[in-house]
Amino acid sequence: MTETILALAPIYGLPFLALITGLSCLGLPAPASVLMMLMGSFAAAGEFALAPVLATALISSIGADQLGFFIGRFGGQAVTARISSRPGRKAALNRATKEIERHGRLGVFLTRWLFSPLGPYVNLITGATGFPWARFTIFGVVGEVVWVSIHVGLGIAFSDNVLAIAEVVGDASGFLAAGAVAVFLGWRLFKILHRTKNESA
Amino acid sequence: MKTIVMLWRRHRLLLTAFVFATALTLFFAARFTLFVLYWSDPAHRNQPLQGWMTIGYIAHSYDVPREALADALGLVPPEKGKRPTLDSLARDRGMTAAEFQAEIKAAIERLRKDGADK
Repeated sequence: MTETILALAPIYGLPFLALITGLSCLGLPAPASVLMMLMGSFAAAGEFALAPVLATALISSIGADQLGFFIGRFGGQAVTARISSRPGRKAALNRATKEIERHGRLGVFLTRWLFSPLGPYVNLITGATGFPWARFTIFGVVGEVVWVSIHVGLGIAFSDNVLAIAEVVGDASGFLAAGAVAVFLGWRLFKILHRTKNESA
Repeated sequence: MKTIVMLWRRHRLLLTAFVFATALTLFFAARFTLFVLYWSDPAHRNQPLQGWMTIGYIAHSYDVPREALADALGLVPPEKGKRPTLDSLARDRGMTAAEFQAEIKAAIERLRKDGADK
């Protein structure tokens, strides 16, 4: 799978980079980070110019983020309307919406690069819960600049053996995303246990 | 134990999701460690030739001049905007990928030796 992708990169170049980056930012299983590192290495080897590589990855990821956000906004509102039809759920949704509004900036920024596998879901959720578009865009763009720079930069720095660094980075990114979810769920469990203990005491 | 039973009864979804996320985290941590150990071994550091590589990338990775490598292999410069891969070059020459890789390796050895002699 990865081999095939790698072989298509030198042939189809920038349009291919745009396609894979965009699909990955929409949450489809496309190996954008490997490809960005590879393109960084190709740039270091003189096969591509660096500036178009950076610009292509950046524009494509920002565009796909916007698409996800508006899919959430228009598609998700039907879902949130249905949830709100029951009073108990409506309260829960309101609480969640407030939380997202409070922590959304950092959330959007960090899920662009540090916890990037979670990014596409954050796009949908922020869109569906009415998170302000301008705020989403500003923190999203800054986050994507970090994401693209890190990957292309690693590709340049380790251009002698790009596959080695790609494997290591892929696992580090999976570890961080899964770890963030585990910590969040663990914290929820901890709070439940704490509450039950206080109730029984 | 009692706590786990209580959580399983009342918060099954949350508990399952937590266990799953933790397992996934450990899986990635283990893979990460294995890769770091593998690639930190100097014997594994030379990147083997692969079908997706272009001549420019190989020259860069093995630190030999690009034009010299292309000359040594008797390659004409590709059309503008074309970046033939190792596999497609081998096909054009009617060779198998393995034969072409052996030729490239020999050419790199020669270039390195010439470079050292000078």
